[in-house]
Amino acid sequence: MEQEQSLSMSMNEKQKKQTIGNAVAGGVIIAVILLVTTIWVSNGARNGTSQAVSRVSDFYLEELAGRRAQVVAEELRTNFSYMENAIAIMDESDLESQEALRRFFGRVKELCGINKFALVDENGIIYTEHSTTTGTGRYNFLSEELTVPIITTANLYGARKQVILAAPVENVEFQGARIEVCFIQIDIEEMLSSLTSQTDYNETYWSLYHRTGEDLTNNDFGNLEAGTNFLTEMQKADIYGGFSYEQLKSDFAEGRQGQITFHYEGSTENLCYIPVEGTNWMMTVLIRNNVITEQINSISSGMMRRGVIQIVITMATMFAVFMGFILQFRKNASMALEQEKADGDKIRAAYAQIEKEKASMDNIHAAMDSGFWSMEFNEKAEIISCTWSDVFRRMVGYESEEAFPGRIESWINLLYEEDKEQAVKEYWDTVMDYTGNKTYDVEYRLHTGHAGLRWFHAAGRLSRREDGSPICFSGLFVDIDDEKKMEELLEKQKVDLEDALAAAQHANRAKTTFLNNMSHDIRTPMNAIIGFTSLAAAHIDNTEKVQDYLAKITTSSNHLLSLINDVLDMSRIESGKVKIEEKETSLPEIMHDLKTIVQADVTAKQLEFYIDTADVVNEHVLCDKLRLNQVLLNLLSNAMKFTGPGGLVGVRIVQKGNAPEGWAAYDFQIKDTGIGMSREFLEHVFEPFERERTSTVSGIQGTGLGMAITKNIVDMMDGTITVESEEGKGTTFTVSLQFKTCAGPIRQEAIPELHGLRALVADDDFNTCSSVTKMLTVIGMRSDWTTSGKEAVLRVQLAAEQGDEYAVYIIDWLMPDMNGVEVVRRIRGIIGMEKPIIILTAYDWSDIEQEAREAGVTAFCSKPIFLSELREILESPFTVRDTENTETEETVSFEGKKILLVEDNELNQEIAVEILQETGFVLDVADDGAVAVEMMKNAKAGQYDLILMDIQMPLMNGYEATREIRALDDPEVANIPIIAMTANAFDEDKKLALDAGMNGHIAKPIDVSILLEVLQEVLQ
Amino acid sequence: MRNKRQNGKCVRKRAGNAVLRRCISISVLFLCLGTGILGLTGCGDGNAQYGTADGGKVSGDTASHGGEREMPAVADDHAESGNEKAASIDFDHKLDAYRPLKKEYNFYFTYKIVHPWWDAVAIGMEEASKQYAERGVTISYEYLAPRETSAQDQINRLSEASGRGFDVLGVDVADVDIVTPAINDLIAKGHKVMTFSSSDADRDDGCDRIAYVGNTHNYEDGALLTEELCEKLEYTGKVAVMVGTVGAPCHEERALGARDVLAKYPAMEIVETVYDEDSVEKAYGLARRLLAEHEDLKGIICCNMSNPVGAARAVIEAGREHEVVIVGMDHDQEALHYLKDGTIYALGVQDCYSIGFDTIQVAVKIADGQLPGELYPEKTEESTTIIYQGDAVAMLRVLYGEIN
Repeated sequence: MEQEQSLSMSMNEKQKKQTIGNAVAGGVIIAVILLVTTIWVSNGARNGTSQAVSRVSDFYLEELAGRRAQVVAEELRTNFSYMENAIAIMDESDLESQEALRRFFGRVKELCGINKFALVDENGIIYTEHSTTTGTGRYNFLSEELTVPIITTANLYGARKQVILAAPVENVEFQGARIEVCFIQIDIEEMLSSLTSQTDYNETYWSLYHRTGEDLTNNDFGNLEAGTNFLTEMQKADIYGGFSYEQLKSDFAEGRQGQITFHYEGSTENLCYIPVEGTNWMMTVLIRNNVITEQINSISSGMMRRGVIQIVITMATMFAVFMGFILQFRKNASMALEQEKADGDKIRAAYAQIEKEKASMDNIHAAMDSGFWSMEFNEKAEIISCTWSDVFRRMVGYESEEAFPGRIESWINLLYEEDKEQAVKEYWDTVMDYTGNKTYDVEYRLHTGHAGLRWFHAAGRLSRREDGSPICFSGLFVDIDDEKKMEELLEKQKVDLEDALAAAQHANRAKTTFLNNMSHDIRTPMNAIIGFTSLAAAHIDNTEKVQDYLAKITTSSNHLLSLINDVLDMSRIESGKVKIEEKETSLPEIMHDLKTIVQADVTAKQLEFYIDTADVVNEHVLCDKLRLNQVLLNLLSNAMKFTGPGGLVGVRIVQKGNAPEGWAAYDFQIKDTGIGMSREFLEHVFEPFERERTSTVSGIQGTGLGMAITKNIVDMMDGTITVESEEGKGTTFTVSLQFKTCAGPIRQEAIPELHGLRALVADDDFNTCSSVTKMLTVIGMRSDWTTSGKEAVLRVQLAAEQGDEYAVYIIDWLMPDMNGVEVVRRIRGIIGMEKPIIILTAYDWSDIEQEAREAGVTAFCSKPIFLSELREILESPFTVRDTENTETEETVSFEGKKILLVEDNELNQEIAVEILQETGFVLDVADDGAVAVEMMKNAKAGQYDLILMDIQMPLMNGYEATREIRALDDPEVANIPIIAMTANAFDEDKKLALDAGMNGHIAKPIDVSILLEVLQEVLQ
Repeated sequence: MRNKRQNGKCVRKRAGNAVLRRCISISVLFLCLGTGILGLTGCGDGNAQYGTADGGKVSGDTASHGGEREMPAVADDHAESGNEKAASIDFDHKLDAYRPLKKEYNFYFTYKIVHPWWDAVAIGMEEASKQYAERGVTISYEYLAPRETSAQDQINRLSEASGRGFDVLGVDVADVDIVTPAINDLIAKGHKVMTFSSSDADRDDGCDRIAYVGNTHNYEDGALLTEELCEKLEYTGKVAVMVGTVGAPCHEERALGARDVLAKYPAMEIVETVYDEDSVEKAYGLARRLLAEHEDLKGIICCNMSNPVGAARAVIEAGREHEVVIVGMDHDQEALHYLKDGTIYALGVQDCYSIGFDTIQVAVKIADGQLPGELYPEKTEESTTIIYQGDAVAMLRVLYGEIN
């Protein structure tokens, strides 16, 4: 069996070898056949190519020579025609003079482009455009008579070969001599310049020879040197193809065309010669024979080489294909196995790569704080799965799927309410956008489980089915809270900066305007002061006029002072030097003071004025009385300033019920029916230096600081101020303030004696009627009111008839239809004298008191009336009560009182001395604090009654001097009243003065009445 | 231009006979080599024969044409090949850097006689005019001469031309004594007059002409040619001197140079001095007579262009071309052929082309009011080259385009 197998294998092996041997032998035979046939074909091709190239070469030479000969002949013909034309256009005028002839030559040159055209006369003088010369030696053709046109050459001195085209001329005379010849002289090199003498690689030449063999060019011709006689040299050449030298010479002599191949000086040349028409010249073109043969050899050897290479490649290819088949069979099986293994490896590698990329992506997401999410949809666009990555969960503050399940609701539930609708809408809009163009890209806030509300940015896209329905929606989720907050912060800063810039710009403009206004406003009173001072000086003897001037000076001075005060006040407020000092304050007192202050102006301006105090329960509060007064007075002054005669100005205090325990809230409303303000100005009314109409225009003077000061004070008092205004209709300012209460509320219980009784209120002002009626109700009375005096009388009559008389009558003094006194008189006529009748008035009633009391008035009560005042009046035994008028002031006589005036400024000294001496004081003057101290040290007790102390002095200021005086040994001297009299007029200055031990403070400029009042007070 | 002129003078002073002879010896050697290389048949022997001679030399001046060309300082005589000798005639002239003040010029030139020598000068003028035209300057001129030499005719021509508004009048002085007063008269009348080509009339002659362009070394030319002849004759024998026009400075100076050299050699004898009036025919006749009357005549010294042609014709006619040595001037085509075949021993070739070229350049400057000095010399010297049999072919080719 083994032997059979071995035998079988041996046979197979043998058979295989035999097969291979046969294949190799077959291949060799094919190769030999191919090689032989290739050589045979190549030789044939070579011969054919040789013949073809030779024919082409001959044709090429003939063509080349022919074309060149044609060009030369054409050039000569053209020049002949030029010359003929030149002679034809010559007329007698051209021959009038040498200059005319030269102009003719110039014309010919322009028309025909002939450079050197010449005429020769019978004397041998040659005329050209620029020369007239004798001597024909350089032109041989002139040695014989010319009868026909000729073409010749001239070998001029310098070997510059020239072509001469000459023609006889007839019937032309110039300056008595016959013109016999004309000719053109052309530089032969220039004429032939368009033809190259050599061509490719110096292997093709051309030249021009005379039929005698004389060279007409200056160029080498193959191996023939330039200038060599061609025919002479050709005697030395070997001419091929059975052609003889004699034939060549004959061809030249006869001007025949021909081609020859010859060997000369080591080179074999192919020559073509062609006669040039109209001349004795031969155009010759020569090509080196080796150029042709080398080209043929190159082609043939190339063909042979390519044939052999082709055979080798063919055989090699066949062998390679054969071997390839064998190898292919062997490899196929193993390749299939390897392929399977490789596929498995690839799949595993792909999975590993995916895992790797996933891990990388997770890392990236973790590093970038971006969470991945995805949702899958069915064909109806319903969510079938929702996946939140762990990073996503952690970002929203959840650690596990239990805490943050894989449902879209998990996310929706965390959305901030304001953002929810938009975020969810965008989500579903993106999902339902079947065009696939929309990208989900939304910013929203989420209630995170660990960090509260935070901003996030989510972006994602969908993969879709062919019909556009969504398959998978995946995206990223990034925490942008920090960036968002930074953006908000930056935006806010930007807005703030813009506001600040705008405010600064506005303030700057306002300040500029303010300065302009101040300049005007200060100059105006100053002008009055200076002007009236001058007038007073001029009319010093006219007491009446001087008084008038002084009054006007005083008015202007006061106005100027108020301006300065306002400016300084504003400055101090802005610099924070003004403090609110809360003290127990009576609102009625404030309102009465207010009324007192403005009453004169109200009357002067013929304004209607009221103060309404309805609903005020807490009349005593803790507040800065001075500042509150300043606020109300500012507003009221403004109201009066901008309200014309007959207009209404009023103040209303409303106590609001929303104050916390121990506090009382008030609205102070100041209303007028004046000119009002524009809507634009309202926005700036509380800004410093703002005036709607500049004083220069409106004539109403002011600093523009009143409202700003008011607003600042209100702010300092933690209140608010608002304004409503309409141009032409009026303005209402409302100041809302809240004060701590003190002394508790006004007693609200009824007055038992009056409970249930009737009261009548008659006032033409409805607000007063309303206000007083409410108060009477609180007291427990039943009240009626009327705005008419007559009606009041009627009502009293009616009540009397009904037997229900009024117990109390409160009657306004001035009513349009009947004044209060008359009303009282009539009422008294009805009811008798028993019941109290109270006159309510906003005016000083002293002038009418007598008449009023005779008419039956029981008591007077000034507006505004507060509940406490009304209660007090009604509870009192109806006696006349007039604090203003009943107060008996103890007046102090200043006569003989001694004052030490401490003042360093001489003018101020003089003013003070004059004022005080006029009032009876006796004065000593010290011009410095130190001097005063010395004087007081030396003074006896009682020597001085008072010291008026300036503050700023050169050696020792007033504070220091006061301290030293207070420290003197003699207690009587040390305790002398010291009053600061200084231009340091602020509150803190007053405080400093008091702290230093002074007893009072008088601000400069000196207001005489205030000065005397203070002195009175101190000296009492 | 001035520098070159100075160089020329300098060379001339240094170039004494000894120096020239040495140069000639060297040049003969080079000429032999040159002719051998060229393979010019018949030239080699002749040159070898003269190679040891201490004869042929340059007239000594390197000439100064101005412009950009360079002239050979001293021709190396026999040491140069024929082509090199021919190349010493420079045709590659370029105008100098001078910028003419006008755009148009009009000149009048008159010379001694209608003759091929002056035709060569005309070609130089033509070339200069052509180059000026390329620069946008138009040169017009008349260049005229009588058929026969006549000083009076020259005066007439100048007088006639002076009334036609030419910028410059130029004259090749036919007779110094006769023409000088006419020139001075024209100068006195404000005309600008120059002399040119072969004959000058300078300050020493009492002439006020502005400048001269041409051969300034006629004496040396005559002397050098005579030295050649004496050397050839081994400083012994009878010779005749042929001159051109009586009174023509160039001719007379050459004749004087010849006589001075011959006087140095006691064995040399002048049998006769004759004038052909620049006529070849007359020269021929005079030569025939000399040959007939002096059977032992060994040499003929020719001082102009027509002399050597006539002399050669007569010598050939007499069959004595191997007995009589002829030296002469200039480049007549026929004379060059006689040189080529050995009938004439040496020729002094003046550079007519350069003379013509420089004459136009100098005339332009004179017309512009420029005086001799920085821009051009008072005398612009042109060269003369002594050529021999070996140089003839190349010279014929260069000058007349003759090849074989």
